[in-house]
Amino acid sequence: MPLTLTRRGFAGLAALTPFFMGRAQADGSWAEIEAQAKGQTVYFNAWAGSPQVNAYLAWAAEEVKARFGITLEHVKLADTAEAVRRVRDEVKAGKAGSADLIWINGQNFHVMKEEQLLFGPFTEELPNFALVDVDDKPTTLVDFAEGTEGLESPWGMAQLTFFADGAKLDTPPMSMMELLDLARDEPGRITYPAPPDFHGTTFVKQALVETIEDRALLPMAIDKAAFTAATAPLFDYLDTLHPYLWREGKQFPQAQAQVTQMLADGEVLMGLTFNPNEPANLVDGGTLPATTIAWQNRGGSIGNTHFVAIPVNAQSKAAAQVVANFLLSPEAQARKADLKVWGDPTVLDLDKLNPAQRGLFSRAKQPGSVQKPARTIPEPHGSWVPLIEAAWLEHYGA
Amino acid sequence: MALTLESVSIRLDGRLLIAPLSLGVEAGETVTLMGPSGSGKSTLLSFIAGDLEHPFAASGRVRLGGLPLDGLPPETRRIGRLFQDDLLFPHLSVAGNLLFGMPRGPHAQRMAKVEAALAEAELEGFGDRPPHTLSGGQRARVALMRALLAEPRAMLLDEPFNKLDAELRQSMRSFVFQHIAERRIPCLMVTHDLADVPPNGRLLLLKDGVVTHA
Amino acid sequence: MKYSGAAPLALLWALPLLLALAMLLPAALDGEAWRMALAHPQLRPALALSLSSGIVSTLLALALCVLLLAGLYRSRAWHRLQALAAAGLAVPHLAFAIGFGFLVMPSGLIARLLVGGDVPPQWASVQDPWGAALTLALALKELPFLLTAGVAVLSRGDEALRLRQECRAAASLGHAPGSTFLRVVLPPLLAALRWPLVIVFVYGATVVDMALVLGPAQPPTLAVVIWHALNHAEAAVNAAGLAMTLLLTAALALVLAVAALLGGRTRRAMHRLLTAGPSPLQAPRGLAAVTGLAALAVLGLVLLVIVLLSLAPRWPYPVLLPPAFDLTAWMRVAPAPLWLSLLLSAAAATAAVAMAVLWFETQAPRRDRWVIGLALVALALPQLATAGGQYRLFLPWGLTGTLAGLFLAHLTPVAAYVLIVLAGPYRAFDGRYVAAARALAATRLSAWRRVKLPLLKAPLLSAAAIGFAVSIAQFVPAQLITAGRFSTLPMEAVTLASGGNRPLTAAFALALSLPPMVAFLAATLLGRPRWR
Repeated sequence: MPLTLTRRGFAGLAALTPFFMGRAQADGSWAEIEAQAKGQTVYFNAWAGSPQVNAYLAWAAEEVKARFGITLEHVKLADTAEAVRRVRDEVKAGKAGSADLIWINGQNFHVMKEEQLLFGPFTEELPNFALVDVDDKPTTLVDFAEGTEGLESPWGMAQLTFFADGAKLDTPPMSMMELLDLARDEPGRITYPAPPDFHGTTFVKQALVETIEDRALLPMAIDKAAFTAATAPLFDYLDTLHPYLWREGKQFPQAQAQVTQMLADGEVLMGLTFNPNEPANLVDGGTLPATTIAWQNRGGSIGNTHFVAIPVNAQSKAAAQVVANFLLSPEAQARKADLKVWGDPTVLDLDKLNPAQRGLFSRAKQPGSVQKPARTIPEPHGSWVPLIEAAWLEHYGA
Repeated sequence: MALTLESVSIRLDGRLLIAPLSLGVEAGETVTLMGPSGSGKSTLLSFIAGDLEHPFAASGRVRLGGLPLDGLPPETRRIGRLFQDDLLFPHLSVAGNLLFGMPRGPHAQRMAKVEAALAEAELEGFGDRPPHTLSGGQRARVALMRALLAEPRAMLLDEPFNKLDAELRQSMRSFVFQHIAERRIPCLMVTHDLADVPPNGRLLLLKDGVVTHA
Repeated sequence: MKYSGAAPLALLWALPLLLALAMLLPAALDGEAWRMALAHPQLRPALALSLSSGIVSTLLALALCVLLLAGLYRSRAWHRLQALAAAGLAVPHLAFAIGFGFLVMPSGLIARLLVGGDVPPQWASVQDPWGAALTLALALKELPFLLTAGVAVLSRGDEALRLRQECRAAASLGHAPGSTFLRVVLPPLLAALRWPLVIVFVYGATVVDMALVLGPAQPPTLAVVIWHALNHAEAAVNAAGLAMTLLLTAALALVLAVAALLGGRTRRAMHRLLTAGPSPLQAPRGLAAVTGLAALAVLGLVLLVIVLLSLAPRWPYPVLLPPAFDLTAWMRVAPAPLWLSLLLSAAAATAAVAMAVLWFETQAPRRDRWVIGLALVALALPQLATAGGQYRLFLPWGLTGTLAGLFLAHLTPVAAYVLIVLAGPYRAFDGRYVAAARALAATRLSAWRRVKLPLLKAPLLSAAAIGFAVSIAQFVPAQLITAGRFSTLPMEAVTLASGGNRPLTAAFALALSLPPMVAFLAATLLGRPRWR
């Protein structure tokens, strides 16, 4: 990827600088942090909607207990915003933190960063951060086109992926235009979750990327006037698409999980997800049939990284950092990427690992895996999101 | 028309409460049935009225004006009842209570009858009052007028003066019997107070299931 | 004794509640929040939808309730009605919504039976724009609650006896059983059902979980819009959500005021109807029996569906039975949260009943309107708002993340329900029994324990069971107050539901149904009179 001096590039460089500068002291102070962490309890606030995630975290808890003497408690959230609100209220009341580590990205991260609710920068201190693939996976340093500034540590990769029952859909649509054609052929059998569900917002963003005239606008902050002008083709597309969708585009499911269920029940033809390995996971769990296929749009599919961050009022900051580091370790990342466990793609650069570590990662394809991964299109700047959500609501909300 | 009982017996869980009883009450006559508590007097009235309930059972026949009442539901029998409590409907006014059982017809006519009844009971102007604002005696009079306005063909009185104090009792007694006599309908009363028996009225005693004349 | 009797209720329930509500008042003055709220594109249609689904579901539930009561009053099947009502009460709303949804959705059981084929029909049976699915489900789910209240009124000691006698009197005045029910029983019954109807209406208009499963989304009900706003990460959006909450509450109050006004106005017309004269209108025995059986069938089918859903990883259209069963979902129902929920709910229910009894024993009836009013307000406001206020209240006191805080948070809705349900039977209790006992030289406590308590067994146990059921289903207060330190069963259920794993959601929904069912069964069995 050519390194252009876009705002994103600047932010990327800026984020890397403290990493280089702090490197020399890293080893010494890291031992101190590990020593401090022993015996602490980390309350890891993480979305718990998936038994696979919960099981993985239970394994991680056992590991950090055995290796570092840290007690890891998985605080189950239905929505990350709960943790954001809680930290905000606690900091305002001057209370000690109930959360030590939060699974976070995108909008929630931006809110916490702006309100100075995060501890750090700390990512450069993590020894395993050196293994992260910052070059080929630039979203590990740049979250929705803004630098992470060392305030959140990458954990896994996400990329918009579609899936369907191959027995019912033999030629999957590989672009939004092909999706429109498919919808015309099979009216009422395709849908997407309504924004502000972030899968729905991402679907709309994907359509935005594929319809916008000037892609250079995307990584930049945008205001309402420019937005309305730039998104005219997008809403033309959606206006054309919607009448062929489920319920003629007058009603939309409220969450991605609902779309998946509708697919499993046979009511719609395709589902969508951010975890490219979720379809394989679902096949393994018996929710979807073995004939399930998964794919990403040919021209590129929006992707991002999800992170863990430490609240500014966390009580066990040292242990939280140790846990964040552990989550970046090859063992933890490999297990996470294992289709049989969770299947969440790794943030690590496999070339930076030694052969033994590399061997932990299996490349085997399973029923439901994406056969031809597409390139990742980075998220547009965070300022696009509320505008997209509001505009969608205006157009289609009632 | 006369109220006739033919071999009416009452059973409770198989046990005989009242031995087969045959009785005729003439039009305009009041027959009093006295007996100790629990002897089945009220149950007999229930049977005649048509709402005998489990675990009681009865056999025998009741005729009114010669026609049998077997199997007829209570609301079709046209037999008026007075209970120990006045049982005025609390959600209706006094006039509303009086109108309740009155046969349907033009509103003006029905209201005229209500006014007449109120006058009879010396309760002019009480029509719009809710029942709970009346005294016990006043309510008892309304209860009787309500029953009579339904144009019953017979009357059953179940210890109707029980809850009234001594003074009121006397005036109520004469009030009730005068109106019943005027309408010339048979009346069967149950009580355990000897003073309730109207002058020249037949008195029957119920003891151990057997009815005898006094 | 007078003030100390009111103290527990005041300190543990009323005070935290009032303070929590006070925390919401700044929202009323936040101009920016109101501006944002009023500018929300979905505000007006969502409000209309909330009000319509609330009003229609309440009226429908009332109609069905009256039909069942009219048809079965003073009949042999009367006692079965009580059982039916209790069974219906125990199933949590979310579980009912999921099961009902699976019955009626385009790829659901009814479609599979009636239509079949390879592809589901394109029905708009759930998420329909008028909210019909939601309204119907609400009516069916609230019917047991109204039935229980109605049965309680019509079976309760002296009152019930007097009503039965009045029915005899009405029969002697020429009215057939149907006419008697309409003209003699129904007016006092409706008067007694006033507050339950208010609760049903308010619940229907503010419910979130059922609306998320069955209701439309473009636009959703206002309760759902508020839910999303209050859940948002940005504080400004939260504030707008609070403003919308106040708006919804005001709208509900307005509807109730209009209803009360209409009630007063129609009284005259009603009086004419009631006194028109004898009528041969029969009790709707047949219709009531059919309706009762149909309601039971729906309930049974819904339960069956939830059980099957919990055991089936897939159940695609058009198969009538799941192709494979496994227990993975059930194996994930964690024991620790289950125990915490059970113990917490038992404690909350017991405490609530004890506090309520202390109040009713020591305070004059005219003071009741304050606690009942507060209870209604507590139940009327969205939980996310009241619980949010409680969280902000508890935080500086260090009560968040503690068992004590969790207990208090559960106590709020539980005590509200218990107070409302217990007020009627407790106040209607004939004081002469206790007076008689005291005349026999019993102390006040002894008279209460040996005379009043056994006679009030049934309503007390019933109130405790209701409190228990309410407590066990609490999600929002628990989620906020525990601040992640504890996990109750509903918390596990809702977070898993957010992942859309249907077998898991169904298994948890069933796990949530079982304790209340047991509680209601116990209450019914233990509350039976000693002699029939």
